[in-house]
Amino acid sequence: MSAAPPRAPEGGTGRWLGTGRWSGLGWSLLPLGAIFAVAAAVALFGSRSPTRLDPVLAWTSPSLERPFGSGEGGVDLLALTAHAELRGMVLAVAVALFGFVVGTPLGAAAAFARGRFERGVARTCDLLQAFPTFLLALVVLSAVRAPTRWHLGIVFALTAWAPFARLALAQSRVLRAAAFIDASIALGQSPVRVFWYHVLPNLLGVVKVQLGSTAASLIVSEAALAFVGFGPHDGVSLGNVLDQGVASMLRAPHVLAVGALSVFVTSASMLVAARAQKR
Amino acid sequence: MAWSTAEAALVLLVLASLVFVALRTLPGDPAALILGDQASAEELAALRARLGFDRPLYVQYAHFLRGLLSLDFGDSLRRPGVRAGARVLEALGPTGELAALAVAMGSVLGVTGAVLAVGPWLGTARRFVERAFVAVAATPLLAFAPLLTYVLAVKWRLLPLPGDPDAGFLGLLFASGLLAIPLSAHVARIGRVALLEVSGAPFLTVVRAKGGSFARTWYLHGLPATAGPIVTTIGTQLGALLGGAVVLERLFERPGLGTLILESYASRDLPVLEASVVAAGALFVLTQAIAGAVHAAIDPRVRS
Repeated sequence: MSAAPPRAPEGGTGRWLGTGRWSGLGWSLLPLGAIFAVAAAVALFGSRSPTRLDPVLAWTSPSLERPFGSGEGGVDLLALTAHAELRGMVLAVAVALFGFVVGTPLGAAAAFARGRFERGVARTCDLLQAFPTFLLALVVLSAVRAPTRWHLGIVFALTAWAPFARLALAQSRVLRAAAFIDASIALGQSPVRVFWYHVLPNLLGVVKVQLGSTAASLIVSEAALAFVGFGPHDGVSLGNVLDQGVASMLRAPHVLAVGALSVFVTSASMLVAARAQKR
Repeated sequence: MAWSTAEAALVLLVLASLVFVALRTLPGDPAALILGDQASAEELAALRARLGFDRPLYVQYAHFLRGLLSLDFGDSLRRPGVRAGARVLEALGPTGELAALAVAMGSVLGVTGAVLAVGPWLGTARRFVERAFVAVAATPLLAFAPLLTYVLAVKWRLLPLPGDPDAGFLGLLFASGLLAIPLSAHVARIGRVALLEVSGAPFLTVVRAKGGSFARTWYLHGLPATAGPIVTTIGTQLGALLGGAVVLERLFERPGLGTLILESYASRDLPVLEASVVAAGALFVLTQAIAGAVHAAIDPRVRS
């Protein structure tokens, strides 16, 4: 007699972080949700702009009035970090979702088409995944006078689909030999129907885990590009906070701490959220 | 071997073509980007003619490919009279030193960590070591490198600032060490799993039965059997290492290929930008080939 499958606890949000399967899901999403909520609250209800300068307060230490202190030109670091995190997260999630939506069907279709198409997709994925994305981004952005988040998004989207396609390709190679796929074909279902109703749903469990790690690496890439001077020209990026921190390391180390910890916490929360997909 | 060389050449050709396409076909006039908004129409036309932008695209591409084959990308716009290739060669030295030392340190630290994580020396603390590998591998270089620099070089003054011209080898060692930390964590994670897989193999039992110490068992017999995944991990991490080198060179204001790319971007020195990105790609492809050759040299199954 087999054991009954685990059941999700019933009830409202009070039991969301309780026990069992949903508890793990809740804990995994909690850091990302908390960061997003705090950043959104500061961006929506905060009185300071992330670009407003107040030179008198330049490099001042954290205080009750300004919990993260001030950066270059007296910019409020809390406002700058909150806006930068929000924009970075939106960019990372949007590009990761784009990669997921494009890469998953492409990889699955390649595995089912076999032959040259399969080899071509696999080789392209190898090439894109092997080559440093950072270098690729520098090449494309060097042709742009003043990069914006749209430019960054396009550059990241050029390579973001590859890991999803690679995973979908590998998983579909297993699925195409499965008995239930043979059965569907034997029952006369069209290839499109088999692909859409049987293959794709069985891929998603594995492939969606990649969403979190792709988004985390995009957060870091965006910050790194901004740090070396290829970021959005509005200056609202975690890389810019870090850049200010490095420049003022001796007189205002709190700026460096805010920049470095923000990059780490945002990237780590994405990775932790990816664990929720495994459940 | 011929197939690998052809693949490497293809990767370089794709990259070089991408550089060519990006700089010539994306919206915006490169001559205007270089000279700025104040340039006159004559100045813009003269620069376009000098860079060959007034010719048809296929002629420009053929000229570009000829330059690629003869490693001649033209003169630097920022330093007239100096070849772009010469500037890149000058910058390759410091970046090569930084990356080579980082690979050496990351490999030694990672392999040592992997052996410690599977050997009997740490007892129950081994599970914490594995978690530490995961945490370090997931921590971006961009976050910990400036903080470690502040703590070790500015606050405690244990090490010199790696960008200090007087820092010498210690500065290089510090910068390489920062690059080596994430690499060592990746190597340790993969190495640990690979070593665990062979841990029950009969040949290791024979070594132990013949009186071999744990260190001898793992280092002399276990590690060569797991060289494949470890060398492959180092090879795949080289891309991240190159990106990290650009960030570190910018962070410490050290000379190198990354600094040259950023400088040539800022001054729109297109010949140098093209040459340096192609050189970075070649460096990457070369190191991948070396990783493959090392793997084949250690593991005869790969050669066959």
